[in-house]
Amino acid sequence: MAGIYVHIPFCKSKCRYCDFASFPDKIHLAESYMACVYREMSMRKEDLKDYEFDTLYIGGGTPSVVDESYIAMLVTAAKKYFNVKKGAEITIEINPGTISAGKVEMYEKCGINRYSVGLQTAINSQLREIGRIHTLNEFVTCAKLLKGKNFSVDVMIGLKDQTADDVIKTIEVASAFGASHISMYALSPEDGTPIYTDYLNGELPDGDEVAEMYEAGVKKLEELGFFRYEVSNFAKKGKESRHNLNYWRRGEYIGFGVAASSCINNIRFTNTFDLDEYFKCILSGHLAVKSREEIDGEGQEEEFIFLALRTAAGIDLEEYKKRFNCDFTEKYSSAIAKTSKYTELSDKRFYIKPEYLFVQNSVIVEFMR
Amino acid sequence: MGKKENIRNFCIIAHIDHGKSTLADRLMESTGQVSERDMEAQLLDSMDIERERGITIKLAPVRMYYKASDGKEYEFNLIDTPGHVDFTYEVSRSLAACEGAILIVDATQGVEAQTLANVYLALENNLEILPVINKIDLPSARPEEAKKEIEEVIGLDASYAPLVSAKEGINIGEVLEDVVKYFPAPQGDENAPLKALIFDSYYDNYKGVILFVRIKDGSVKSGDRIKTFRSDKEYEVVEVGAFNPALVPKDILSAGEVGYIAASIKSIQDVAVGDTVINPSRPAAQPLPGYKKVQSVVFCGIYPLDGSKFNDLKDALLKLQLNDASLLFEADSSVALGFGFRCGFLGLLHMEIIQERLEREFGLEIITTAPSVSYKVIKTDGEEVYVDNPSHLPPVSEIEHIEEPIVKADIYSPPDYLGQIMDLCREKRGTFLQMTYLDKSRVRLEYNLPLNEIIFDFFDSIKSRTRGYASFDYELIGYEKSKLVKMDILLNGEVCDALSMIVHEDSAYPRGRMLCENLKEAIPRQLFEIPVQAAIGGKIIARETVKAMRKDVLAKCYGGDITRKKKLLEKQKEGKKRMRQIGSVEVPSEVFMQILKTNKD
Repeated sequence: MAGIYVHIPFCKSKCRYCDFASFPDKIHLAESYMACVYREMSMRKEDLKDYEFDTLYIGGGTPSVVDESYIAMLVTAAKKYFNVKKGAEITIEINPGTISAGKVEMYEKCGINRYSVGLQTAINSQLREIGRIHTLNEFVTCAKLLKGKNFSVDVMIGLKDQTADDVIKTIEVASAFGASHISMYALSPEDGTPIYTDYLNGELPDGDEVAEMYEAGVKKLEELGFFRYEVSNFAKKGKESRHNLNYWRRGEYIGFGVAASSCINNIRFTNTFDLDEYFKCILSGHLAVKSREEIDGEGQEEEFIFLALRTAAGIDLEEYKKRFNCDFTEKYSSAIAKTSKYTELSDKRFYIKPEYLFVQNSVIVEFMR
Repeated sequence: MGKKENIRNFCIIAHIDHGKSTLADRLMESTGQVSERDMEAQLLDSMDIERERGITIKLAPVRMYYKASDGKEYEFNLIDTPGHVDFTYEVSRSLAACEGAILIVDATQGVEAQTLANVYLALENNLEILPVINKIDLPSARPEEAKKEIEEVIGLDASYAPLVSAKEGINIGEVLEDVVKYFPAPQGDENAPLKALIFDSYYDNYKGVILFVRIKDGSVKSGDRIKTFRSDKEYEVVEVGAFNPALVPKDILSAGEVGYIAASIKSIQDVAVGDTVINPSRPAAQPLPGYKKVQSVVFCGIYPLDGSKFNDLKDALLKLQLNDASLLFEADSSVALGFGFRCGFLGLLHMEIIQERLEREFGLEIITTAPSVSYKVIKTDGEEVYVDNPSHLPPVSEIEHIEEPIVKADIYSPPDYLGQIMDLCREKRGTFLQMTYLDKSRVRLEYNLPLNEIIFDFFDSIKSRTRGYASFDYELIGYEKSKLVKMDILLNGEVCDALSMIVHEDSAYPRGRMLCENLKEAIPRQLFEIPVQAAIGGKIIARETVKAMRKDVLAKCYGGDITRKKKLLEKQKEGKKRMRQIGSVEVPSEVFMQILKTNKD
């Protein structure tokens, strides 16, 4: 499996928790930026001619903030330069405050078949608190536009003043309006973001409180027919994100745009986070790779293990043998024994018990060098 | 040269940060010992720890030549001294090699507590004292007040004290002249049998043990046979010399001089600091007084974090012992920590310094257990055993009673702080003996105190309660029967031997509670709930619970997060490697020491 990721670094305004590459004040550069992305794609065309891509993911930032025609051109460009499989999963992230019927129509036309909607919470005061530009109402309008389509909703936990009931309410709203997939992830206060100050001041829920929200959320999601296939991701049957599963299976992917990451041929590389530099590189006919790391055999193995252990299915023992030419249960027998209270080993798979997925790091480190 | 009349052996004593090392550097520079260009800041403080903490621990001697205004050239031997009370022992070693001491007083701060303690030591050793007022370049300098304080508090005539700035190099010449003028030349008879005091030593990979000596009588040169008073082994001298501060070979060292002897001495254990070097063909009848025998006051276990590094730890301790005779150790083992050493120290700071040196100079990762003292256990069968490791205490049924070491403490303080000191001594189960006014500004309080009450924080408490003015000295006077019990700590139901301690029955409950609380904070949450209990015999007296961890995950992990996520996991793994597995519980290695340091006064 292989995927394509495109980063759109524009937003109407920056959320208080955001530490991604996004530039609300540079939105006037969107047209030139998109042109650079098409160009960057063309530069990679030759190298990737033998690849078949199963997914295309347009993320950000807020991809829905730029003119829908650019998005259409982007999808067209990707299909033109790369071998994108028929029936590929093509996802776009959208903000409920920047969507319209016209946009959805254009997205559909160009082949987008999956939407990821950033709701975060159904409580308006909390939306304001974290700096989201939309309200619950706008989400409802957005969800109606997406009615009958395959869409995912992002839900955040661990927000200031948030309770487990708030999380449950948010999940119920998302489900009631037709989400087929829900990502529920904990706020991670990053140094340098405005919300980090809240964290320093002790205003955010602590780990135990977040765990309570998570557990309440999991329970509700399962009641509503969403099954957990990764620690933070829940889907109706068959509606898992193929693009993200590829990350956790340690598949290959190519990223385009500022700050986009790639992993091709066991080399991980990431584009510059600096928008001007990105422009400069691409316009002068160069790639914009800022950092590059070749992953050796041990490193590949380690990545494979920790990524797989994020998922409910865990490590596919046969796949492991095929990739690394050794037996997982033999090589890691002592770590398996040490973690046996928290893990499950069948003849096909090794995985973390569902009730320990949220403390998975403690288990995973036993498998690291 | 080499004539006794032209030699001056002296040291510098000062409060921490009053500019001792800077003045020493300046003296060396002024006598051309080091060119300014080659000079690294603060030459004498050569260990990393000393530089970082701004303190001097090890003695570093240096020889200088000075042409005085009387036209004669003088040989100066400067021996640096440590400043902390734990190292009083080291101070007395260097004082025994000198005739004079420069007393530095900071013109902005006046006489401080540490200054007093060391001045009294110097006076006890019959040293001539030259007061020097330093830091006169600072705007807040009050040299006249500093002089007045020296006269009033210490009782020294400060009218002739040079006013200097070591930092700016002001008036250094006057200090050099005064050294010649006020310090006596060494006594001693170069024709008498050799008597040399070993005041320090270290191991050199090429030359073997290097002895730092002060020649009291006679002389020594390469080719001579030597032995020490307390050992029968003889050696042939390979090299003698002086310090510049590096070793500079010389033909001969004679009475009055300070220098080094290298004699291919292989074993660190054969030469004790404080011993006297003599010539076996013409042995001196009596050894030099030497020093008070070192007495370990605090004991603790030191274990390698990685069990396979036991031998490395042993070698490192042996090397440290060579130039720190006050460090004692023997092999020991613990269920929780494996093989290691039981070590004896002069005090808590000494213990910390040794730990730091093991980690930095030898690159070892170590675990240290809580400090303890040595108890006398009288068994029901009448046998007496000494136990300094709580986990080696015999079973309760075999103990008739336990005696604890008692010290007689002399506390010197200005009268203002008497109340605070007496409160503290009461809290620490002290028995008041007497109080004497030495003069209007100084009182001596005498107390008997259980040693185990003073090893943790007594020194810090007394310093903080008297704003640093009190000084404190003590000597062991014997053992007294006491109501002592062994308190065990259970982690997840299992006794952790490395955390056991011997406590007085009356303080067992509060100690147990405090220890459990501290441990609860220090032990990271794990995937299961961990009861932390304190127990005496089979009886649980305190309990805390380390709750099970509920969140330990990086919620998001997409394409761009993988590298960062892996780094976080690697970091977590590193932290885990620094933990010790005690039964099912992972305990950070610092816990064994930290839990007692947070002991609130």
